Amino acid sequence: MPRAKLLRSTPIRFALTYGLLFVFTSLAVWLVSFELLRRELREELDVAVRETYSVIEATYASDDIEDLVGTMDSFVRLNADGSRVFALLDRSGKILSGNLKHAPPREGFETVSALQLGLAGDEQFRILSGDVGGNRLVVGESFKEMEDLAQIVLVSFGWSSALAALLAFATGAYLARSAQDRLDVVAASMAAVSRGQLDVRIPLKGSGDDVDEIAGHINQALERLSTLVESMRQVSTDIAHDLKTPLNRLKLLVDEAATRSLNDEAMRSLLEEALAECDQINTTFDALLRIAQIEAGARKRHFLPVALDQLVYGIAETYADVADDNGQSLRTERIDAVEIQGDKDLLTQMLVNLIENAITHCPPGTAISVGLERSGECWSLFVADDGPGIPENERENIFRRLYRLDKSRTTPGNGLGLSLVRAIADLHGATVNVNDNLPGTRITLSFAP
Amino acid sequence: MRILVIEDDRKTSDYIAKGLNEAGHQCEVVADGRDGLFQATQGSYDILVVDRMLPHLDGLSIVKAARAARVRTPVLLLTAIGGVGDRVEGLEAGADDYLIKPFVFSELLARINSLARRPPVQEQRTVLRVADLEMDLVRRLVTRAGQNIDLQPREFTLLEALMRAEGRVLTRTMLLESVWDYHFDPKTSVVETHISRLRAKIDRPFDVPLLHTVRSTGYSLHAPR
Repeated sequence: MPRAKLLRSTPIRFALTYGLLFVFTSLAVWLVSFELLRRELREELDVAVRETYSVIEATYASDDIEDLVGTMDSFVRLNADGSRVFALLDRSGKILSGNLKHAPPREGFETVSALQLGLAGDEQFRILSGDVGGNRLVVGESFKEMEDLAQIVLVSFGWSSALAALLAFATGAYLARSAQDRLDVVAASMAAVSRGQLDVRIPLKGSGDDVDEIAGHINQALERLSTLVESMRQVSTDIAHDLKTPLNRLKLLVDEAATRSLNDEAMRSLLEEALAECDQINTTFDALLRIAQIEAGARKRHFLPVALDQLVYGIAETYADVADDNGQSLRTERIDAVEIQGDKDLLTQMLVNLIENAITHCPPGTAISVGLERSGECWSLFVADDGPGIPENERENIFRRLYRLDKSRTTPGNGLGLSLVRAIADLHGATVNVNDNLPGTRITLSFAP
Repeated sequence: MRILVIEDDRKTSDYIAKGLNEAGHQCEVVADGRDGLFQATQGSYDILVVDRMLPHLDGLSIVKAARAARVRTPVLLLTAIGGVGDRVEGLEAGADDYLIKPFVFSELLARINSLARRPPVQEQRTVLRVADLEMDLVRRLVTRAGQNIDLQPREFTLLEALMRAEGRVLTRTMLLESVWDYHFDPKTSVVETHISRLRAKIDRPFDVPLLHTVRSTGYSLHAPR
């Protein structure tokens, strides 16, 4: 699927939207919990520092400074990694024991840097200092362990989020793809129906899900449509048969009567007129039947490649003589090579109808021209004349069945020629337009893929 | 000729039979599809005229079955439905010609005559000759009494059809189908226009006309009788 179409696909859009929503949500959850964790760890640190402080302070219960210094020394010894700091200062500020160079100036909890304590490195320490029997006791612990723990939590959370997001996107893509595949099947089936294949049905998955349900409804509608079309076709065939049989008898009878009235010229001409009327009825009837048949779209199955330019040349050659006998002229303009998939017989009838329309509705002296232009996949075919033209408000009406302009009531025709043109153009995916040729009429058929 | 007509409408088949008998042919009529197929495969006929819509077995199936049974008799299919797809279907089933109802008897007769004289194998003739009119199919030249006649491509095809059917009547519809490949009834006088132009070239400059109009039927090209 091309990227533009991929992004228009509803399931893919859903999957993408939910994937992004998931990523943003987990990012927010992660930020909040990380902050809570830090706060918790900081409080834990304060508790730990206070506990150590209390333990050391308790050893001074006997007012013996030596015990205090001894306890301090053993704490310092046990603290090999230097994550904890201790100091005991006398009244004059001299350090009696501990691993600090400077003591913080104030009493109580404080956060200080290694530099302020006279240590190397860029760690931060949580310090508690207080007065123990006139001396100053300082106990502290580095933030490093806490930061390390936070780091581990951060990284592991990051990895699991990334994995979850990846999984979410992959699952989304898979689900979207399978949903899209099913929608594509529906779309392909409907496209086949619009091409006239009414027997196409959408295959069901059998899971009874929403797509299955919609597909089931569409199938029911198609079933009904094809039954209607079939019964309409049957009715037209029946009418055709029931009407054509008596019409055939009538024509055979009138024809025989005409043949037998060889000596009565007046009778014969009357009967020949009657015969012509029979043909007129039949032509109108055939045209209506044919339009209905074409509009049902069933003919698309018979489509073959047709060289439109050759068709135009052949018809223009034939009708140049007919126009000439009518005192008109017909010439071809630019004719590009165009090959299309189509029904040659119908396309022939379409172009003949357009040209005959120009010939019968225009006075002698009219110049008629035919052209076929192509650019890329698009082509347009036109038949133009410099005759009386069609009033603008009538231009859409001329395609209506059995519609005739007032001034053309006297010319031969049944008002179905242009309806047939439009039906044939529709069948081939082309549109028909009527324009002013300044002066005259220009009917253009255009096709764009 | 012995002709079998398979048509369920009594009146239509009566007219056809009467007309064919008057034209000097022997005609048998069957109204049912199954009986029709039986007759077509058992009897020996020169032409089969088969209606498309019949009780019990339709015309298309009869033609298909007969062709499958190696019956090579030319078949003219009659039909009430004039769609182009229907015509193609009929020809694909094995019919040789197709006539759409309503028709006049002369049209039917012209088509029957045309089918009957259709050569069994396509002759490889390169020159067609009718009286002093000659057509060289290879060099695409037409002469009459030794004089060159200049024809438009469509006039050439029209004359070729008429010369191949020498003496037989070709109706307007038959010409539209074979020369123009038009399977509908045009509003304007396409055939008449081209016939009159052809006549002006091959007949008018000469004493004896060869191209004859058969009233309310069609045209025929032949030497004076």
